[in-house]
Amino acid sequence: MIIAERKPLDEIKTLVDDAQKVLVVGCGTCVTVCFAGGSREAQITAASLRMSTKLDGNGKNVGDVTVQRQCEWEYLDEIKDQVEDADMVLSLGCGIGVQAIAEHFPESWVVPGLNTTFLGIPSEQGVWEERCAACGDCILGLTGGICPIARCSKSLLNGPCGGSEAGHCEIDPDVPCAWQLIYDRLSSKDKLHVILDLQPPKNWSTSRDGGPRKIVREDLRLKAEEA
Amino acid sequence: METNQFVPDIIAFCCHYCAYAAADLAGSMRLAYPAAVKVVEIPCSGKLDPLYVLRAFEDGADGVMVAG
Repeated sequence: MIIAERKPLDEIKTLVDDAQKVLVVGCGTCVTVCFAGGSREAQITAASLRMSTKLDGNGKNVGDVTVQRQCEWEYLDEIKDQVEDADMVLSLGCGIGVQAIAEHFPESWVVPGLNTTFLGIPSEQGVWEERCAACGDCILGLTGGICPIARCSKSLLNGPCGGSEAGHCEIDPDVPCAWQLIYDRLSSKDKLHVILDLQPPKNWSTSRDGGPRKIVREDLRLKAEEA
Repeated sequence: METNQFVPDIIAFCCHYCAYAAADLAGSMRLAYPAAVKVVEIPCSGKLDPLYVLRAFEDGADGVMVAG
Protein backbone atom coordinates (compact mmCIF):
# COMPACT_ATOMS: atom_id res chain seq x y z
CA MET A 1 0.00 0.00 0.00
CA ILE A 2 0.94 3.65 -0.18
CA ILE A 3 2.35 4.79 3.16
CA ALA A 4 2.10 8.39 4.28
CA GLU A 5 2.47 10.52 7.37
CA ARG A 6 0.46 13.56 8.35
CA LYS A 7 2.29 16.85 8.16
CA PRO A 8 2.80 18.73 11.45
CA LEU A 9 -0.18 20.93 12.39
CA ASP A 10 1.92 24.11 12.16
CA GLU A 11 2.81 23.34 8.54
CA ILE A 12 -0.82 22.58 7.74
CA LYS A 13 -1.88 25.87 9.34
CA THR A 14 0.59 27.72 7.12
CA LEU A 15 -0.75 25.93 4.04
CA VAL A 16 -4.38 26.88 4.78
CA ASP A 17 -3.56 30.35 6.09
CA ASP A 18 -5.24 32.14 3.15
CA ALA A 19 -8.54 30.33 3.49
CA GLN A 20 -11.44 30.95 5.85
CA LYS A 21 -13.47 27.90 4.87
CA VAL A 22 -11.43 24.73 4.64
CA LEU A 23 -12.61 21.25 3.63
CA VAL A 24 -10.45 18.42 4.93
CA VAL A 25 -10.81 15.45 2.59
CA GLY A 26 -9.80 12.03 3.86
CA CYS A 27 -9.23 8.95 1.74
CA GLY A 28 -10.67 5.56 2.65
CA THR A 29 -8.00 3.36 1.15
CA CYS A 30 -4.21 3.18 1.72
CA VAL A 31 -3.87 6.17 4.04
CA THR A 32 -6.75 4.90 6.18
CA VAL A 33 -4.92 1.64 6.75
CA CYS A 34 -1.70 3.45 7.71
CA PHE A 35 -3.61 5.77 10.07
CA ALA A 36 -2.56 8.93 8.24
CA GLY A 37 -5.53 10.23 6.29
CA GLY A 38 -8.69 8.23 6.86
CA SER A 39 -12.03 9.42 8.18
CA ARG A 40 -10.79 9.43 11.76
CA GLU A 41 -7.66 11.42 10.93
CA ALA A 42 -9.68 13.84 8.81
CA GLN A 43 -12.01 14.51 11.73
CA ILE A 44 -9.09 14.89 14.15
CA THR A 45 -7.26 17.23 11.77
CA ALA A 46 -10.39 19.32 11.23
CA ALA A 47 -11.05 19.58 14.98
CA SER A 48 -7.39 20.45 15.63
CA LEU A 49 -7.47 23.16 12.96
CA ARG A 50 -10.71 24.63 14.30
CA MET A 51 -9.39 24.81 17.85
CA SER A 52 -5.90 25.94 16.97
CA THR A 53 -7.02 28.74 14.66
CA LYS A 54 -9.64 29.81 17.21
CA LEU A 55 -6.92 30.07 19.85
CA ASP A 56 -4.88 32.14 17.38
CA GLY A 57 -7.79 34.56 17.12
CA ASN A 58 -8.70 33.63 13.55
CA GLY A 59 -11.09 30.73 13.91
CA LYS A 60 -11.59 29.01 10.59
CA ASN A 61 -14.63 27.15 9.39
CA VAL A 62 -13.21 23.66 8.91
CA GLY A 63 -15.32 20.71 7.79
CA ASP A 64 -14.34 17.24 6.77
CA VAL A 65 -15.47 14.48 4.45
CA THR A 66 -13.90 11.18 3.46
CA VAL A 67 -14.24 9.44 0.12
CA GLN A 68 -13.53 5.80 -0.61
CA ARG A 69 -10.64 6.66 -2.95
CA GLN A 70 -9.40 10.13 -3.87
CA CYS A 71 -7.66 8.76 -6.94
CA GLU A 72 -10.84 7.93 -8.89
CA TRP A 73 -13.08 10.50 -10.51
CA GLU A 74 -16.28 8.65 -9.55
CA TYR A 75 -15.60 9.02 -5.85
CA LEU A 76 -14.60 12.66 -6.22
CA ASP A 77 -17.89 13.44 -7.95
CA GLU A 78 -19.61 12.72 -4.64
CA ILE A 79 -17.97 15.71 -2.93
CA LYS A 80 -18.30 18.22 -5.77
CA ASP A 81 -20.65 20.56 -3.90
CA GLN A 82 -18.56 20.55 -0.71
CA VAL A 83 -15.35 21.22 -2.63
CA GLU A 84 -16.92 24.09 -4.55
CA ASP A 85 -18.31 25.55 -1.34
CA ALA A 86 -14.88 25.68 0.36
CA ASP A 87 -12.12 28.26 -0.11
CA MET A 88 -9.54 25.53 0.02
CA VAL A 89 -9.26 21.75 0.17
CA LEU A 90 -6.80 20.10 2.52
CA SER A 91 -6.33 16.64 1.07
CA LEU A 92 -5.35 13.86 3.44
CA GLY A 93 -4.86 11.57 0.47
CA CYS A 94 -1.50 10.57 -0.93
CA GLY A 95 0.13 12.75 -3.56
CA ILE A 96 -2.06 11.06 -6.15
CA GLY A 97 -5.21 12.06 -4.29
CA VAL A 98 -4.09 15.67 -3.99
CA GLN A 99 -3.41 15.85 -7.73
CA ALA A 100 -6.66 14.06 -8.58
CA ILE A 101 -8.64 16.68 -6.64
CA ALA A 102 -6.71 19.51 -8.30
CA GLU A 103 -7.30 17.98 -11.72
CA HIS A 104 -10.97 17.12 -11.16
CA PHE A 105 -11.86 20.48 -9.61
CA PRO A 106 -9.74 23.00 -11.56
CA GLU A 107 -11.52 25.95 -9.93
CA SER A 108 -10.55 24.81 -6.43
CA TRP A 109 -7.29 25.19 -4.56
CA VAL A 110 -5.94 22.05 -2.94
CA VAL A 111 -3.02 21.59 -0.56
CA PRO A 112 -1.50 18.40 0.86
CA GLY A 113 -1.97 17.45 4.50
CA LEU A 114 0.24 14.38 4.24
CA ASN A 115 3.76 13.56 3.21
CA THR A 116 3.51 10.54 0.92
CA THR A 117 6.42 8.41 1.91
CA PHE A 118 6.73 5.02 0.23
CA LEU A 119 5.13 1.79 -0.98
CA GLY A 120 5.30 -0.67 1.82
CA ILE A 121 3.72 -2.93 4.40
CA PRO A 122 2.77 -2.71 8.07
CA SER A 123 5.47 -5.11 9.26
CA GLU A 124 3.98 -5.02 12.76
CA GLN A 125 1.41 -2.92 14.56
CA GLY A 126 2.58 0.69 14.28
CA VAL A 127 5.58 -0.06 12.04
CA TRP A 128 5.66 0.40 8.27
CA GLU A 129 8.52 -0.59 6.00
CA GLU A 130 9.29 0.12 2.36
CA ARG A 131 9.03 -2.88 0.05
CA CYS A 132 8.60 -1.66 -3.53
CA ALA A 133 10.11 1.15 -5.61
CA ALA A 134 7.68 0.70 -8.53
CA CYS A 135 10.62 0.36 -10.93
CA GLY A 136 8.39 -1.14 -13.64
CA ASP A 137 10.62 -4.14 -14.31
CA CYS A 138 10.14 -6.55 -11.42
CA ILE A 139 13.07 -8.83 -10.59
CA LEU A 140 11.65 -10.43 -7.45
CA GLY A 141 11.65 -13.75 -9.29
CA LEU A 142 15.45 -13.63 -9.28
CA THR A 143 15.89 -12.50 -5.70
CA GLY A 144 13.71 -14.82 -3.67
CA GLY A 145 10.90 -12.29 -3.26
CA ILE A 146 13.13 -9.66 -1.65
CA CYS A 147 13.56 -6.42 -3.57
CA PRO A 148 17.11 -5.07 -3.78
CA ILE A 149 15.86 -1.89 -5.48
CA ALA A 150 13.68 -0.88 -2.56
CA ARG A 151 15.49 -2.56 0.29
CA CYS A 152 19.19 -2.17 -0.53
CA SER A 153 20.25 1.37 0.39
CA LYS A 154 22.21 1.57 -2.86
CA SER A 155 19.70 -0.41 -4.95
CA LEU A 156 22.53 -2.71 -5.93
CA LEU A 157 21.82 -5.51 -8.36
CA ASN A 158 25.00 -7.54 -7.99
CA GLY A 159 25.21 -8.56 -4.38
CA PRO A 160 26.09 -6.82 -1.14
CA CYS A 161 28.56 -3.96 -0.96
CA GLY A 162 31.44 -3.64 1.49
CA GLY A 163 29.13 -1.91 3.92
CA SER A 164 27.23 -5.09 4.73
CA GLU A 165 28.21 -6.10 8.23
CA ALA A 166 26.87 -9.17 10.00
CA GLY A 167 23.74 -9.01 7.89
CA HIS A 168 23.12 -5.32 8.42
CA CYS A 169 23.52 -2.21 6.34
CA GLU A 170 26.19 0.36 7.05
CA ILE A 171 23.61 3.17 7.06
CA ASP A 172 21.96 1.85 10.20
CA PRO A 173 22.54 -1.30 12.23
CA ASP A 174 18.75 -1.74 12.43
CA VAL A 175 18.46 -1.98 8.63
CA PRO A 176 18.94 -5.50 7.33
CA CYS A 177 21.20 -5.92 4.31
CA ALA A 178 18.84 -6.76 1.46
CA TRP A 179 21.44 -8.89 -0.26
CA GLN A 180 22.09 -10.85 2.92
CA LEU A 181 18.33 -11.48 3.12
CA ILE A 182 18.33 -12.54 -0.54
CA TYR A 183 21.29 -14.86 -0.06
CA ASP A 184 19.80 -16.42 3.08
CA ARG A 185 16.42 -16.89 1.41
CA LEU A 186 17.82 -18.45 -1.76
CA SER A 187 20.17 -20.59 0.29
CA SER A 188 17.34 -21.88 2.47
CA LYS A 189 15.39 -22.83 -0.67
CA ASP A 190 18.45 -24.39 -2.32
CA LYS A 191 18.13 -21.91 -5.14
CA LEU A 192 21.44 -20.07 -5.01
CA HIS A 193 22.00 -21.01 -8.64
CA VAL A 194 19.40 -18.35 -9.54
CA ILE A 195 21.79 -15.52 -8.73
CA LEU A 196 24.70 -17.21 -10.45
CA ASP A 197 23.01 -16.79 -13.83
CA LEU A 198 24.26 -13.78 -15.75
CA GLN A 199 21.62 -11.09 -16.09
CA PRO A 200 21.54 -8.31 -18.68
CA PRO A 201 21.60 -4.74 -17.37
CA LYS A 202 18.29 -3.79 -15.80
CA ASN A 203 15.92 -1.84 -17.98
CA TRP A 204 15.61 1.42 -16.07
CA SER A 205 13.57 3.06 -18.83
CA THR A 206 10.49 1.54 -17.16
CA SER A 207 11.36 3.42 -13.98
CA ARG A 208 11.54 7.18 -13.53
CA ASP A 209 14.42 7.30 -16.02
CA GLY A 210 11.83 7.10 -18.76
CA GLY A 211 9.88 10.13 -17.52
CA PRO A 212 6.28 10.06 -16.24
CA ARG A 213 4.81 6.63 -16.87
CA LYS A 214 1.54 5.67 -18.44
CA ILE A 215 -0.22 2.40 -19.18
CA VAL A 216 -2.87 2.17 -21.88
CA ARG A 217 -5.01 -0.97 -22.10
CA GLU A 218 -6.93 -0.73 -25.35
CA ASP A 219 -9.00 -3.78 -24.39
CA LEU A 220 -10.35 -1.91 -21.38
CA ARG A 221 -10.91 1.51 -22.91
CA LEU A 222 -14.42 2.68 -23.63
CA LYS A 223 -15.35 3.55 -27.16
CA ALA A 224 -16.22 7.20 -27.76
CA GLU A 225 -19.95 6.47 -27.72
CA GLU A 226 -19.64 4.55 -24.40
CA ALA A 227 -17.57 7.10 -22.53
CA MET B 1 -15.89 29.95 49.12
CA GLU B 2 -15.20 32.79 46.67
CA THR B 3 -17.92 33.11 44.09
CA ASN B 4 -15.54 34.09 41.28
CA GLN B 5 -13.31 31.07 41.73
CA PHE B 6 -12.65 29.22 38.49
CA VAL B 7 -14.48 25.92 38.41
CA PRO B 8 -13.31 23.83 35.48
CA ASP B 9 -15.84 21.90 33.44
CA ILE B 10 -14.63 18.32 33.34
CA ILE B 11 -15.92 15.64 31.00
CA ALA B 12 -15.38 12.23 32.56
CA PHE B 13 -15.41 9.35 30.08
CA CYS B 14 -16.21 6.33 32.22
CA CYS B 15 -16.03 2.66 31.38
CA HIS B 16 -19.42 0.96 31.60
CA TYR B 17 -18.01 -1.94 33.58
CA CYS B 18 -16.03 -0.22 36.33
CA ALA B 19 -15.82 3.56 36.60
CA TYR B 20 -19.36 4.20 35.44
CA ALA B 21 -20.65 1.49 37.74
CA ALA B 22 -18.68 3.10 40.55
CA ALA B 23 -20.14 6.52 39.78
CA ASP B 24 -23.58 4.92 39.73
CA LEU B 25 -22.92 3.32 43.09
CA ALA B 26 -21.69 6.66 44.44
CA GLY B 27 -25.01 8.14 43.37
CA SER B 28 -26.94 5.33 45.08
CA MET B 29 -24.94 6.00 48.22
CA ARG B 30 -25.79 9.71 47.96
CA LEU B 31 -22.12 10.63 47.71
CA ALA B 32 -21.69 14.02 46.08
CA TYR B 33 -19.18 14.95 43.42
CA PRO B 34 -18.73 18.37 41.83
CA ALA B 35 -21.55 19.34 39.49
CA ALA B 36 -18.95 20.54 36.98
CA VAL B 37 -17.98 16.93 36.31
CA LYS B 38 -20.11 15.52 33.51
CA VAL B 39 -19.98 11.76 33.18
CA VAL B 40 -20.13 10.19 29.74
CA GLU B 41 -20.57 6.44 29.71
CA ILE B 42 -18.51 4.53 27.17
CA PRO B 43 -18.58 0.75 26.62
CA CYS B 44 -14.91 0.45 27.59
CA SER B 45 -12.10 2.95 28.16
CA GLY B 46 -10.48 1.28 25.14
CA LYS B 47 -13.33 2.72 23.09
CA LEU B 48 -12.13 6.24 23.81
CA ASP B 49 -11.06 7.90 20.60
CA PRO B 50 -8.81 10.99 20.49
CA LEU B 51 -11.66 12.54 18.57
CA TYR B 52 -13.94 12.36 21.64
CA VAL B 53 -11.32 14.21 23.67
CA LEU B 54 -10.87 16.85 20.97
CA ARG B 55 -14.62 17.28 20.65
CA ALA B 56 -14.99 17.72 24.41
CA PHE B 57 -12.38 20.48 24.40
CA GLU B 58 -13.84 22.03 21.25
CA ASP B 59 -17.26 22.17 22.89
CA GLY B 60 -15.87 24.02 25.88
CA ALA B 61 -14.59 21.49 28.39
CA ASP B 62 -11.64 22.64 30.50
CA GLY B 63 -10.47 19.13 31.18
CA VAL B 64 -11.13 15.54 30.27
CA MET B 65 -10.92 12.59 32.61
CA VAL B 66 -10.75 9.01 31.44
CA ALA B 67 -11.73 6.47 34.07
CA GLY B 68 -11.67 2.77 33.46
